[in-house]
Amino acid sequence: MASDQLLQYLFSGLTHGSIYALVGVGFTIIYAVTSIINFAQGEFVMLGGMLSFFLFASMGVPLPMAVILAIIVAAVVGALLYLLAIRSARQASVVSLIIITIGASIFIRGIAAEVWGVDAVRPPAFTGTTSWLVAGAYIQPQAVWLIGITLVLTLLLHLFFNFTMMGKALKACAINRSAAGMVGIDARAMALTAFVMAGALGAIGGTVMSPLTSITYGMGAMIGLKGFVAASIGGFKSPVAAVIGGLTLGIVEAMAVAIGWGPFSSAYKDAIALIVLLAILLLRAGQLAAQERPS
Amino acid sequence: MMNVERLQRFNWRPVAIGFLLVLLLLMPFNWFMGQYTTLLVFIGLHTMVTVGLCLLLGYTGQVSLGQAAFYGLGAYFSAVLSKTYGVNPWLAMIIGAIATGTFAYVIAYPIFRLKGNYLAMATLGLGIIMYVLFRQMAQYTGGPDGMGGIPQLAIGSFVFDTPFKRYYLVWFFCLSILLLSQNIVNSRTGRALRAIHGSEAASASLGINVAQFKMKIFVLAAVYASLAGSLFVHHLSFVNPQPFGFLGSVMIVVMAVVGGLASIWGAIFGAAMVRILSDELLLRFGELDIVIYGLILMLVMIFTPEGLFVRLKSYYRRWQTGRLGEVEL
Amino acid sequence: MTNTALQVTGVTKYFGGLAALDGVEAAIDAGKISAIIGPNGAGKTTLFNLITGVYPFTVGEISYQGTSLKKLPAHKRTQMGIARTFQNILLFPHMTCLENVMVGQHTRSRYGFFEAALRLPKSRKEEEAVNLKAMKYLNLAGLGMKAEQDAMSLPLGQQKLLAVARALASEPSLLLLDEPGAGLNKLEKMELSDLIRRIREMGITVLLVEHDMELVMGLAEWIFVLDSGKKIAEGTASQIQRDPKVISAYLGEEVEYVES
Repeated sequence: MASDQLLQYLFSGLTHGSIYALVGVGFTIIYAVTSIINFAQGEFVMLGGMLSFFLFASMGVPLPMAVILAIIVAAVVGALLYLLAIRSARQASVVSLIIITIGASIFIRGIAAEVWGVDAVRPPAFTGTTSWLVAGAYIQPQAVWLIGITLVLTLLLHLFFNFTMMGKALKACAINRSAAGMVGIDARAMALTAFVMAGALGAIGGTVMSPLTSITYGMGAMIGLKGFVAASIGGFKSPVAAVIGGLTLGIVEAMAVAIGWGPFSSAYKDAIALIVLLAILLLRAGQLAAQERPS
Repeated sequence: MMNVERLQRFNWRPVAIGFLLVLLLLMPFNWFMGQYTTLLVFIGLHTMVTVGLCLLLGYTGQVSLGQAAFYGLGAYFSAVLSKTYGVNPWLAMIIGAIATGTFAYVIAYPIFRLKGNYLAMATLGLGIIMYVLFRQMAQYTGGPDGMGGIPQLAIGSFVFDTPFKRYYLVWFFCLSILLLSQNIVNSRTGRALRAIHGSEAASASLGINVAQFKMKIFVLAAVYASLAGSLFVHHLSFVNPQPFGFLGSVMIVVMAVVGGLASIWGAIFGAAMVRILSDELLLRFGELDIVIYGLILMLVMIFTPEGLFVRLKSYYRRWQTGRLGEVEL
Repeated sequence: MTNTALQVTGVTKYFGGLAALDGVEAAIDAGKISAIIGPNGAGKTTLFNLITGVYPFTVGEISYQGTSLKKLPAHKRTQMGIARTFQNILLFPHMTCLENVMVGQHTRSRYGFFEAALRLPKSRKEEEAVNLKAMKYLNLAGLGMKAEQDAMSLPLGQQKLLAVARALASEPSLLLLDEPGAGLNKLEKMELSDLIRRIREMGITVLLVEHDMELVMGLAEWIFVLDSGKKIAEGTASQIQRDPKVISAYLGEEVEYVES
C-alpha cells in the first residue's frame, strides 16, 4: 500500500478514534469514581450532535453558541441521570444498575426521536469543508478540530486529575471510596461531578463529530459500545489510557478496512470493535473479575 | 378458626393454573378474544424467549443483553432451510435449535469467564454482531429487506395456515417450555442455579460446577429462543432483521423485568404487558414505545428490583394474610 | 494410630510480589480436630483458599488422602470429601435454611436437567432423600425449627451454625471452618464447640482457623501457628502456649478474647 494511502487511513482512524476516546474517558471517569458502567454513555454524543444542530438550524442560535449550549444541556442530563436514577437506587446490585442505565439510554433515545425525528442530520462544519492536502492525504478541517480538541482535552484532564484539589479528590474516590469519605470528601458530590463530566465530554465529541459523519437518534448504542472498548483497552485506569485506547481502536478499525482482510470489509467495520472487545475482555478476564464487585 | 385454617391450607396453585389453561384454550375464539389472536401468538412467542432470560438472569444472576440474537438465529435457520433449501419445516426447526444451542455452547466457555458489567457488554456486542450478520449476509437472509414466502408448518395434511391454528401450536410449545422450566427450577438444578446467584464461591465449595451450570442454562435459554424464532417465521411467513437487534434484546429484558426476574409464570405476565402496550396502545405514538420501555426499566429496577410481578404477588399475599387476621412472622 | 489426611508440602503463594504463604508444611491427622492460628495477615485464610481451590497454587504440593489437589477445580475437591465454611458466611439469600442445606447435598444426588425437567420418578425419589438428609443436618445444628425461615433472617450465631450444617450436608471427610467463632457470644460459642466435637465423633477430620484462643485451646488436639506466611510452630495447646516464638509473634498484637 502506498504511504499516502496509508496516511489517509491513519487520518480516518484518528478521527474516529478521537470520538471513541472521548466516550471512553466518560466511561472511565464514572467507573473509577462510582464502579458503575453507564450504558447510556453513547447517548451524550447523540445529544451533543442533535442539540447543536437543532439549536442552530431550527432556533437560529449562532453555531459557537449552539455548540456550547448543547454541551451544557448534555452535562445537565448527566447530572439528572445520576440524581434521579442512579442515586435513587443506592443499594442496587450491579445487574440492577446495568438495567437502569440501559433504561435511561433508550429513554433518552426515544425522547430524541420524538422531539427531533428519526432522520439523520448534519450540522455545518466549524471552519468550512475544503480538505487540506497533507503529505499526499486529504484531511477535513473538521477532523483536525476533532483530533485537536481531543488532544487538548486529554492534556487538560491530565492536569485536572493530577494538579487540582477537585481532580485529586475524584482520584481519591476512585482509589478508596470509604477512605476518601473519612478525610471529608463527599462521595456523592464526586459521583455527580463524574456524571456531569462524562455528559459534557460525550457531548463535546458529538458536537465536533456530527458535521463530519452526520447523526441520528439511534447512534448512541454503537458509539457507546466502541467507547466502552476504548475504556477497556485502557483498563478503566486513567483518562489518558482511555484516549490511547480510543485512538488505537480507531486505527485498528481503519487498517482492517484498508487491508480488506477476510470479513473486514467496510460493511463489517462495526464488528471489528466487538471482536477487539471480546479479545480484550477474555485476555483480561481474570484481572477484571478481581476488580468487579460481587453482585 | 377452622375455616381460616382451611382457607390457608387450600392450595390455590392448581386452581390458578387450571383457570389459566381454560382461559388460554378459549381466548382465540371469535366470541371471546378472537380479534386479538395474532397478539396472543406473539405473547406466546415472547414468553418462550423471556422464560430463558428469567432462568439465566433471574435465577442464575447472569446478564444477557443479546437474547434476541438467538431468537433471530432460530428464525433465520428455519426461514433459509425451509424456503431456500426446501427442508421440511419441522426438521429445519430442529436443526435450528441444535445449531443455535451448539453456538451458545461454544461461546459460553469464553463469555462466562466474564461477570457483571463485562458480561453485559460482551453479550450486547455479540447481539450486535449477529444483527450485523443478519443484515449483511443478504445472499442468504435477504438483507435488511428480509425474505418472504416461508412455508407453513403442517402435520400430515393438517396445515397451520390460520392464526387460530397457529395460536394453539405456539401455546403448546410455550406451555411445555414453562412446565419444563418450572420443574427445573424446583429441582436440584434449580437450587444450584439460585445458589450460584447467591455466591459462586460458596456454590463451588459445595461441589457445584459453576461454569457448567451457567453454560447449560445459557444453552437452554438459547434453544428456547431459537424454537420461538422458528415458530415466529412460520407464523408470519416473513422475516427481516429488525426484531433481532439491540432493541429486540432490550425488549426481552423489559419483559423479564416486568414479569419478575425470578419467576417462571411471571414471564407470561411480562410478555403480555409489553406486547399489549406496544401493539395496542403505542402504535399511534411512533417512537414513544422505547421511551416507555426505558421508563419501565428504570422505575421497576429503582423501586422493585425483584420485578413487578413478584412484587404484586407479595402484595396479594400480604393482603390475603391481613384479611385472615394473620400476622406474618 | 496417626493417619495423615491432608498433607501440605512447601506451599508458597505470592500476591503481587508479596509472599502470603512461604514454604508452609503441615500434616493434618485424620479424625482429629486441628487448628491454624496466627496474627492477622499470617496467611491462614489463604491456606484454606489453596486447599479448597479458590486460588490455584503453583509452588509446593497439597494432597488429600494421597491424591494431589493441584489440578482439581474447587467443585471436584468437594466430591473428594473436602468441605468448608467461610469467614463471611456466604449463605444463599432468598433461600430457606432447609434449601441452603439441600444445596449442600448437591454432590450426593445425581439426577440432572433431563430427569428434573420431566419429573421422572428418579428425581422425585432423590429429592425426598435429599430433603430428609438436609433435615437431619439441620437438626444436628439445632436448627430444625427454622427449616422454612429465610436463611438471612437468622441471627449471626445461627447463620454460622447453618453454614456448618450446609457444609456437613456434602458429607465430607474433612471439614475446614474459617473463623467459626468470630462474632459469637459465649453461649453461642459453647454450642459451636459442642457441634464441632460431635462432628469429630462422626469420624470427620476438622481443621479450623480461629482467632479466639479460648475456643481453639479448648478444642484443638493439634495446633499450627503461622506468622507472615511461615509456619513458626506446631504442637498441642500446652506446647504452643509455652513456645517463645509464638509468644513473640503475638506480642504487640492483641490476643482476641471476645466477651459476651
